[in-house]
Amino acid sequence: MKKFSQLAIPYIVWAVIMLVLPMALIAFYSITEPGNSIFSFSVTLDHYVTFFTDGDFLRILWRSLWIAVKTTVICLLLGYPVAYFISRCGERLQNRLILCITIPMWINMLVRTYAWIGLLTEGGLIQRILSFFLPDGTQLLYTESAVLLGMVYNFLPFMILQINTSLCKMDGALLEAGADLGADPVQTFARVTLPLSLPGVVNGITLVFLPAVSSFFIPKLLGGGQYFLIGNLIENQFITVGEWNFGSAISMVMALIMMLLMAVVRRLENRNRGGQDERNF
Amino acid sequence: MQEKKLIEFRNIVKSFDNQIVLRGVSLDIYENEFVTLLGPSGCGKTTLLRILGGFLNADEGQVIFDGEEISDRPPYQREVNTVFQKYALFPHLNVYENIAFGLKIKKMGKDVIEQKVMKMLKLIGLEGYENKNTTLLSGGQQQRVAIARALVNEPKVLLLDEPLAALDLKLRKEMQYELKRIQQEVGITFIFVTHDQEEALTMSDKIVVIRNGEIQQIGTPQEIYNEPANRYVANFIGESNIIPGTMLEDYKVRFDDITFDCVDHGFRENEPVDVVIRPEDIDIVDVKDGKMTGEVLSVLFKGVHYEIMVETVAGTKVTVNMQVTQNRDAVSADGKEKMSATDFYVDIEDVKKMDDKEVIARSNAQAWDPASDEYISITKIEYELEEKEGDYPVRFSTAGGLSVERTIHVVNQPFVRNEKANEGVMAFNFMTTVEEIRESQALDIDIKTWANAQAWKLNNENESVDITVDYDFDPDTITEGIYPITFWTPGREFKIHTTDYTEVGQQVGLTFFPEDIHVMARAM
Amino acid sequence: MKKGKRPIGKILTALIVAFFYLPILYMIIFSFNDGRSLTSFTGFSLRWYKRMLESRTMMEALYTTFSVALIATFISTVVGTISAIGLSKSRKAIRNLMEQVDNLPMMNPEIVTAIGFMLLFITFRVDKGYLTMLLAHIAFCIPYVILSVMPKIRSLDPNIADAAMDLGATPWQAMTKVIIPQITPGILAGALIAFTMSVDDFIISYFAAGGGVKNLSMVVYTMSKRVNPSINAASTLMVAIITIVLILVNVIPIAAAKRRTSYEIKKKKALIPAVAALAAAAALVVFLHAGSGAGGRPFEGQTLHFYTWGEYTGENIINDFEEETGAKVVLETFDSNEQMYIKVANGESYDILVPSDYMIQRLIQEGYLQKLDPSKITGLENLVDSVKNLPYDPGNEYSVPYFWGTVGIVYDKTKVDMEDLEREGFNIFLDEKYRGDIYLYDSERDSFMMALKALGYSMNTEDMDEIQAAYEWLIQCVQTMDPEIVTDEIIDNMAQGRKALGLIYSGDATYVMSENEDMGFYLPETGTNIWSDAMVIPANAENPELAHAFINYACEYEGAYDNSSFVGYTSANEEVMEVLSGEGGDFEGINAYLPRTDNDMDEVFEYNENTRKEISNLWSRVKIAASNAD
Repeated sequence: MKKFSQLAIPYIVWAVIMLVLPMALIAFYSITEPGNSIFSFSVTLDHYVTFFTDGDFLRILWRSLWIAVKTTVICLLLGYPVAYFISRCGERLQNRLILCITIPMWINMLVRTYAWIGLLTEGGLIQRILSFFLPDGTQLLYTESAVLLGMVYNFLPFMILQINTSLCKMDGALLEAGADLGADPVQTFARVTLPLSLPGVVNGITLVFLPAVSSFFIPKLLGGGQYFLIGNLIENQFITVGEWNFGSAISMVMALIMMLLMAVVRRLENRNRGGQDERNF
Repeated sequence: MQEKKLIEFRNIVKSFDNQIVLRGVSLDIYENEFVTLLGPSGCGKTTLLRILGGFLNADEGQVIFDGEEISDRPPYQREVNTVFQKYALFPHLNVYENIAFGLKIKKMGKDVIEQKVMKMLKLIGLEGYENKNTTLLSGGQQQRVAIARALVNEPKVLLLDEPLAALDLKLRKEMQYELKRIQQEVGITFIFVTHDQEEALTMSDKIVVIRNGEIQQIGTPQEIYNEPANRYVANFIGESNIIPGTMLEDYKVRFDDITFDCVDHGFRENEPVDVVIRPEDIDIVDVKDGKMTGEVLSVLFKGVHYEIMVETVAGTKVTVNMQVTQNRDAVSADGKEKMSATDFYVDIEDVKKMDDKEVIARSNAQAWDPASDEYISITKIEYELEEKEGDYPVRFSTAGGLSVERTIHVVNQPFVRNEKANEGVMAFNFMTTVEEIRESQALDIDIKTWANAQAWKLNNENESVDITVDYDFDPDTITEGIYPITFWTPGREFKIHTTDYTEVGQQVGLTFFPEDIHVMARAM
Repeated sequence: MKKGKRPIGKILTALIVAFFYLPILYMIIFSFNDGRSLTSFTGFSLRWYKRMLESRTMMEALYTTFSVALIATFISTVVGTISAIGLSKSRKAIRNLMEQVDNLPMMNPEIVTAIGFMLLFITFRVDKGYLTMLLAHIAFCIPYVILSVMPKIRSLDPNIADAAMDLGATPWQAMTKVIIPQITPGILAGALIAFTMSVDDFIISYFAAGGGVKNLSMVVYTMSKRVNPSINAASTLMVAIITIVLILVNVIPIAAAKRRTSYEIKKKKALIPAVAALAAAAALVVFLHAGSGAGGRPFEGQTLHFYTWGEYTGENIINDFEEETGAKVVLETFDSNEQMYIKVANGESYDILVPSDYMIQRLIQEGYLQKLDPSKITGLENLVDSVKNLPYDPGNEYSVPYFWGTVGIVYDKTKVDMEDLEREGFNIFLDEKYRGDIYLYDSERDSFMMALKALGYSMNTEDMDEIQAAYEWLIQCVQTMDPEIVTDEIIDNMAQGRKALGLIYSGDATYVMSENEDMGFYLPETGTNIWSDAMVIPANAENPELAHAFINYACEYEGAYDNSSFVGYTSANEEVMEVLSGEGGDFEGINAYLPRTDNDMDEVFEYNENTRKEISNLWSRVKIAASNAD
């Protein structure tokens, strides 16, 4: 249908300008000198060299990846049981619980993160409760734990929803088949439910890990000015230091690392799912 | 070869959301039997199977397995295995792992598992497929893997829930033999759920016909086919002629005003019954040799045999006049609108049912724009009808001011009663135009509408009977005038399967043996 | 499911749900708090709502948030749907390629997407503002719409459009009468996602917007450093709006389904909640927008783009100025001179800036400022002599001082020994006695000033060795003292006595001391930075006329009094300074308010290109080192 396919042309043009070109510009800035224009420029890899030869930058990168891993693991450990429980509820309750988990996601992330400041700060509710268990003067706000908490808080719903979706999509007959073949509920879970929910787990991991690595307002709000993640480094380069070329190089590094990780994860997932990838049509 | 009773359902009751699915089912199943639960979808057959598999708990009743009550046992502690409707193969495991699943759960040794799985693969003819991804297999292969996965656990009973439903016809036939072969080879009880009567007849040692959560009949395929317990079973299994009749006394049944000898007995005297005669049990003979006589209505070639319909009792006929008049289209003053309508007849009894829509339909009134041929709606219909014979004017108008006047003839139309066939038929004289006839795309249907022809059962006015229309003019060349139109219903028809050809329209005799007549109690 | 099963799952789920709602509830509750505190509830009050409604920044942010969301949702839904239909009929290669392109904003870290937009707008010299923000929102919303519409199109019978056209429909009719009704659920879901994404967005807006246009997230981000319960009020309002939209979306179809007893309401019923939600949001936008109307005066209808420090203007000055002149003031704020410099150097246009001394010098050197018209400047003679005619702008050709002051140490008298302060001066920041109990200020200039002065050097040194020594001093500080590096957070935190010591601007110290009597302000004898922030007009200002008017307004007693009394910084207006510090003045007895003018070691910053770069880089390294210190 020629007529219909032409409908996509304006969008293709738009997408090239608004989606592809910006990425190309980041790549361009990352390999040119400050002050170059797109008409006259000299190519350099200095920015990348600077980034990769400096222990401090690498430590920030490492810390970003590490806190994202921690966030992801915690989300998985908390999210899976919750998602599983919800998927086993009756349809009505299930819908309500899903709504319960979705509503906070509708509310601005920044606003919700800001709300934690009041809870964690000295004299705040959480701080006061925890002060009974923690040594005197233990600070909660502006610590790595606060950042971790903020990330788990913001990204856990993604994990729960993804896993829940894959659990709900699962054919109930498979569970019956497991039981029929002699597997008790624990065995059925381990050998049927868990492996089959892996695509949801992978999606969940993607949706948690990706924003966690690059987040910059959560560390800024809850980690304080001296807590730097790679996102803060990029923001700093663009907003305060004004080194766009170096900032672009860091962005490129981050984007490439993400793409690589996602490719690996997808590969693993595909291998696991074999040929039953529904998207292959 | 009467063996040990293996499974006993005792008075199983089950309902979902206040809807009763099983109404007290009791059933015994023996060792090494191929049992089929047969019934239409929603009859409860799958529910019964799932109760046995342990996936559902019965509301009432007991399930006894090998002498033990197992109602409260979870599925994984039952010595039965299931082949699921869509197989439920684990998509994350390959063929080998799927089959080995149950054995791994039982923590068998690796070598034992391998031995058993290989044996199974051989049994189902899928050697060399062990590393294949199950989702890439064909339907038939998936089916076999599902069977192997269940059988490898050496269950005492294999439950199969419509396992062939997803396969195409040819594959289904193959799998029927295959299943039967596997069952004979492994020598265990198969309980097979299906809605396909042919499948049931082909494979089973025993068929259980279920309807609305109740068992209708249990028996061998031969018993079920030849001696259906009631009209329902007779209809569901195979093709049959089912005729209402009366059991005069033992071995004497009367239907269609003829008394026949039969082999059935044990009914009350003059008990109303249903009589079944299978189409292949009836022979066509000369008129003088027939127990009944009739006219051949149709002959269909079905491959191995002809399917011949013979009418033994004539239908009901009524003839009316069609008055073809000249075109009386009205045209508006400016020529922008045209309208046509005809006079028509109404039965006194139907006067109170007349409304605007009905009047328009019966008069075939329509208005249009002659330039564009687009329809214009008729906005106003004026008429006054009384429940008294006579002629009444009716006026149709459009918003544009064009209007025509026609006549509604209210008459007291007698109808034709046919007590023998239990039918009444009625139709009206009507008027139409040459153009209407020529332009009609489905003339038979239009004529029925114009004549308001209808037929019904005398004992139940709401049960309508099909009518056919006959006329003797060529619609393409028809001119003004009066034409007779005949409406008729089919009479008692018998379906006969025979290898001998007969001409349509021929008078023939029908004959059958007393043992071919099967008398059943009237179904409720 | 039998009751009483899975107790662990039940408890965990309950806890997680509580976890999700706890901060939201906390926020809602404290939006009604009478006091300013975020930790103790002192009584019910609506004052923060009043404050919010009075705050132009917030109301405009709410307006921006929802108007951008509505327009972006509408455009992206229409374009996304049409494109999805088009793509579904395109060749496979194109389709796959576009799928990858669509994935870019979803699979890329959001900050990378955001930077991409920013670079795009800057490279092609598109002025950042409302329009760029809208474009960016549309750009990242469309892929979500396509993603949610595409599966619905795929599940359609591929012949359905052909069937419609076979029956005489034109392609347009086939699309509107057959295809679109079938994929309506997908379209609505897509619109809903787009709306949420847009309302929720921070990162992309933060980088793509400009010219004072802010959505609520950006306001929260810039205001989050100070305790400001109005944020809670605005957030609560957002929660309320979102909840209403959600309820409409979820409840209306159910209600409609219940009503549909006898006959079917047309398929359009699915549109009812969406339309209702959009209408509610649109009504809000109109309401918010209606809030900003005015009368008729000298600068009626003109706009002043005012770019200044956060928390740097009085309560009423902006409104009063608008009232008097009829002009509209667009206020945008920055955290540091450097942040402001980048935007100005990028060609963003403002009418007035309020940079600090050395930055003014730099801007003059680099030609970013225009000379003031002396004939139009009337307020100069009201100002304190100490702030006029300073080296950065001799003769005040370019600038008119706004605030001035010093940089010193704010300390808790109950925790810090006065002797330590007097003995150690700025070196007290290396005294391990106060480890973990100090704040540093996130300003490259003043941090280096502190270090250089502590080492006894000039803060305007050009000697790289001295700068290196100062860097090491700072590194030692962040590595051994476990400081918190803050900006405005220091104000509320010190007012609450959270830490013992901090580097602070005198004006902030004034506020801290007026809030908490235990706090003191100390200027080391080794000298400090005497700074002044002054109003300047950029070379590319669009309305210099109006800018001059504002400068005069801010110099006069009323404007200056409002600024200084509200913010706590020392006014450049001599009379105001004397009244506020004098008997009965707001800041009587607060030493921080009156800058020190009698220490020869005190200096004024001078701009030096070489040292600036070095210091800027080194400070960024100090922060990184701080973040890596454990």
